[in-house]
Amino acid sequence: MVQTETPAPTERGRRSYGRYTAGRLAQYAAVLFIALTLNFALPRALPGGPLKLFGSPEALAQLTAEERAQIANQYGFGQPLHEQFFTYLGNVFSLDLGMSLSQRRPVMEVLGEALPWTLLLVGTSIVITALLGVTLGVIGALRRRKGKGSGLLGGAIVFDSLPQFWLGMLLIVLFSVQLRMLPTFGAVGPDGVVTIGAVAQHLVLPVTTLTLTGFGYLFLYTRSSLLTVLTSEPVQHAHARGVPYRQIVRRHALRPALLPVHTIIMMEIGFLAAGSIVVETVFAYPGLGRLTFNAISARDYPLMQGAFLVLTVMVVVMNAVADATYPLLDPRARAGGAR
Amino acid sequence: MTALRRAHGLLGTPGLIGAAILTAVVGVAVYGFLLPEGAGHARVGTPYAPPGPGLPLGADDLGRDLFEQLVVGAGTSLSLGFLVAVATTVIAAVVGGAAGIGPRWMSATIMRGIDIMLILPELILFILAAAFLGQAFGIRVAILALILWPVPARVLRAAVLTAWSRGHLEVARAMGAPRWWLLVRHGSYLIGPLLIPVFVRTAMRAILYDATLSFLGLGDPTTPSWGTTLYWVQSNGVFLSEAWLWWALPPGAAITLTVLGLALIGIAVEERLNPALKEANSS
Amino acid sequence: MTLTMRDLTVSYGARPAVDRVDLDVAEGEIVALVGESGCGKTSLARALLGLLPRNAVVTGSALLAGEELAGRRDWAGVRGKRIAIVPQGAMTGLSPVHRVGRQLTEMLTLHKGTATPADLLDRVGLPASMLKCYPHELSGGQRQRVAIALSLAGEPRLLVADEPTTGLDAISQRHVLSLLASLNISLLIVSHDLTGLLPHAHRIAVMYAGRLAEVTPSARLLHRQDKTHPYTNGLLTATPAPDRDVPWGSIPGQAPALDHTLTGCRFAPRCPLTTSRCVDEEPGLMPYGESHVACHRHDEDALPTYPTVPRADCAPQNIAVRATGLRHTFRSRARTTTALADVDLTIGAGEIHGLVGESGSGKSTLARVLLGLIRPAAGRVEIAGQELTAQRGKALRLLQQKIGFIHQDPYDSLHPGMRVGDLVAEPLAVSKTPAAERGDRVHRALRSAGLPDTPDFLRRHPGQLSGGQRQRVSIARALTGDPVLLIADEATSMLDVSTRAGIATTLRTLAAERGLAVLFVTHDLGEAIQSCDRITVLRHGTVVEHGTCADVAGSATDPYTRQLLQAAKG
Repeated sequence: MVQTETPAPTERGRRSYGRYTAGRLAQYAAVLFIALTLNFALPRALPGGPLKLFGSPEALAQLTAEERAQIANQYGFGQPLHEQFFTYLGNVFSLDLGMSLSQRRPVMEVLGEALPWTLLLVGTSIVITALLGVTLGVIGALRRRKGKGSGLLGGAIVFDSLPQFWLGMLLIVLFSVQLRMLPTFGAVGPDGVVTIGAVAQHLVLPVTTLTLTGFGYLFLYTRSSLLTVLTSEPVQHAHARGVPYRQIVRRHALRPALLPVHTIIMMEIGFLAAGSIVVETVFAYPGLGRLTFNAISARDYPLMQGAFLVLTVMVVVMNAVADATYPLLDPRARAGGAR
Repeated sequence: MTALRRAHGLLGTPGLIGAAILTAVVGVAVYGFLLPEGAGHARVGTPYAPPGPGLPLGADDLGRDLFEQLVVGAGTSLSLGFLVAVATTVIAAVVGGAAGIGPRWMSATIMRGIDIMLILPELILFILAAAFLGQAFGIRVAILALILWPVPARVLRAAVLTAWSRGHLEVARAMGAPRWWLLVRHGSYLIGPLLIPVFVRTAMRAILYDATLSFLGLGDPTTPSWGTTLYWVQSNGVFLSEAWLWWALPPGAAITLTVLGLALIGIAVEERLNPALKEANSS
Repeated sequence: MTLTMRDLTVSYGARPAVDRVDLDVAEGEIVALVGESGCGKTSLARALLGLLPRNAVVTGSALLAGEELAGRRDWAGVRGKRIAIVPQGAMTGLSPVHRVGRQLTEMLTLHKGTATPADLLDRVGLPASMLKCYPHELSGGQRQRVAIALSLAGEPRLLVADEPTTGLDAISQRHVLSLLASLNISLLIVSHDLTGLLPHAHRIAVMYAGRLAEVTPSARLLHRQDKTHPYTNGLLTATPAPDRDVPWGSIPGQAPALDHTLTGCRFAPRCPLTTSRCVDEEPGLMPYGESHVACHRHDEDALPTYPTVPRADCAPQNIAVRATGLRHTFRSRARTTTALADVDLTIGAGEIHGLVGESGSGKSTLARVLLGLIRPAAGRVEIAGQELTAQRGKALRLLQQKIGFIHQDPYDSLHPGMRVGDLVAEPLAVSKTPAAERGDRVHRALRSAGLPDTPDFLRRHPGQLSGGQRQRVSIARALTGDPVLLIADEATSMLDVSTRAGIATTLRTLAAERGLAVLFVTHDLGEAIQSCDRITVLRHGTVVEHGTCADVAGSATDPYTRQLLQAAKG
């Protein structure tokens, strides 16, 4: 994952916890509103006009008169723009995302089948990426002068530079084609029966791909955050007072160093969710990402929009959950004091 | 020799390796620009031809020269990365600068806007926008620049705030120097070096995201690129056969190397700029 | 004897920062190790606890009750337990995420102390209720006390306090020193503040360029009658007393850089008593009664004389600056701070006006209002007949060109990439003065600021200058625009004591010769009394005292001003 951020602990002003929460909620609402607006506006900015929304000329020709009427009614072309927008909002909030052109089923139904797989894939990846990135980052900072530290640093930079889809292909070549250890495609066995073993087996390579390409940035951030704290005055003074190194790291350095890492984990969520589009395509995993790819190939715009919307909502909700857990880590935020 | 030693002093060993990698890629890209029109997307061999004389990396399913695709792709990737980085750095500098020295309401509005942009997943936005707005080179550059500016803008705002509180800038303000003087004579000295990592890291992200877009089939079908080559790898299931060695491996390695070269330079520059990191690594 | 140092030497590479030091601290004794920045005092203190960077080499011996500290590798059970330190900048060195009680408990557990956390707080004069506080909830003085309490947890034989008063306001400084003196423990206090420590320490060790110049009972220095080492003498006169009858002097020149090979007496290049013997032969620390002095001429009668700040009686002249009814508040998200509440100020041409206050008093805000950097919420400022507060844009910038500004921090106020010549010419470039005139004016300004105007000096970068030279470049830069008002914002606070009076002398000369109005902002009332004509004391944004220096020094009416006077007397 490649992000730019000064790797120093972020500074926030003093705000009460209540005001802070309210501010964040408003922010999430704004994000959702922007996502909805984009979804509404982009098809109307489509070169060749909004009619292309209904797919290729061939797809258009296949539509029955009833379907045409339904679409025209749904989008209300011809009405003023703001009325179209309200119609659109109304449809979204009544969970009506229109019809998928390629599957000829309601978009909501198609997305509903795919969502659990993506949640499983992304959720597992987030947990493993966070644990791996933070743990290795701490080791990398503490062992910075030794071979282990430099090796980790080099590895993190290289993995950070790998394109996800290519790493996925290489893993398939190595573990599925050459070694025949793990399955190549799908999420469940060939017979379609859902067993825990099969699901776990099919999860290994996609999760590995996401984790390996995602942990690097978290590693670099954790490492530099801890290195900065280790040269800070409180740590130097603890050393001067005779506190042994291990105790300094455990008590005085780790917590202040890891607090800002929380923000980075929230950024990872967005990265991993987007990564699911790529990884699910490579591994033919039946989630939202794979659906997005198929929708792009078939120029199935309603499905594409729906998948985008659901992925965005997923990211926002996961961010909100991570945000709400932050006060559990930082007593100062919990007390409503400085944060 | 002294030039090399000075570069080593400036960038360190990793940074120097990065610079070497990048120079090599630029060389390949220049060679690609010299190739005749249509290189890489004209049919020159039999479909699925293995490597042989005249076709160092064989041919794809339509008989197009894979080596030429690789060489031309270098130019596509680098020029896209460069243009996006320039545009993003300019936007970030203007927006970040305005948030740093503008009136309080402007600063607050921009910062809230950035917070919101940061929650939106960049790659998904990029895919959606490209799907609707088209895949022409210029459009992709514009979309990426509009999506990638928030993080660098936040970094540059912090830098501007720090710079504006520096003593020599305050003295210059007190002697009645106009704003452009402050910016050119004092601000550029303090903020200029920070633009390098911002530029490099934006270029990295742009190259990776664009390759991903091409891989998903949203690339420009008229120009060869590394991502597009890998799109055909995926849709033809190439990695199930021997052909992955010459078809899938080179373009992916090229993306990785280019991004790695940029990353090494970025990290070297960042380490020079952050005294805490430098101290921790050298002592 | 608690601590016995013999031939203690600390070298970084080939250069000794501490050179063959012999010093003892007796049981229960308070020894103050005094010197200016770079003299090696901090290296010595940190060598005693093994806190030096990796490239430092310690030789010689430092015995703590029979245990060797010099060159020790294993510090477990020694550092913090047998010898403890109150590190420099202790106010910012407490853990921000732990409560005070928890930090004390950590130290007590670690060093197997028998006291309770509340006992420790009680010893440093803090109530037990503060155990539940986080450091950010305490004042600077309280944090310094907590830092002292932390170092007492292991009941050490010797406590080393490294610059324990730096960063505190004058009144808290005295309180912290009294507290340290009342602890009944062997103490080595490292400080640059000689006069501040005299009433509290038993013996004073004066250090110069890595060597001890003198070790003497502080009572002998307190009365300033007995003969001392010329450097000690210089340090004493360089500390401004809040009394116009005591002269304020400076030591010419600057301390030698560490990388010079030194022969003879290290102080010889700056000493008024230097003979050829001083240059050739290094004096040893010789006993004279209760004192030990390293000076060839100690048994002679000659007394050193140092240049002092001239006393000028400034007759009231035309008013150059008039500020009336200034008010300003700062708003942040959480609260509003009143920086200035109805402040009036006038400065005559040729007058040096002292603006005194501690941090947060509003003195910097007032200076920035006069500079046109902050627009006050209310009130008006008139400079040379023009109303500064009414101007905007280009007119404001033109008026600003008539005001010179000397920034507090000489290490930050000069653009590190510019050469001296360009730095001093910057106001001329800003005011678009024709290039032909610039050279001459730069040379004149440099000479007025007491700097050489050789081509070599003009080509130097700030990194090649000492702190005092940098501040003089700042003065020269402020002069090139031919200002009517010069604002010196704590211009001496970051310089070595021995060079401060020199800067004040330059300002006095400029005020007298050019008829410049000077606003001299400082936190040190003694310095203001020594160098100014009139003084305004600011507290919480209001003027609490105003008058001529003699009046303020002799008959201050405001209780806060009297407290400041008391603190400045030591």
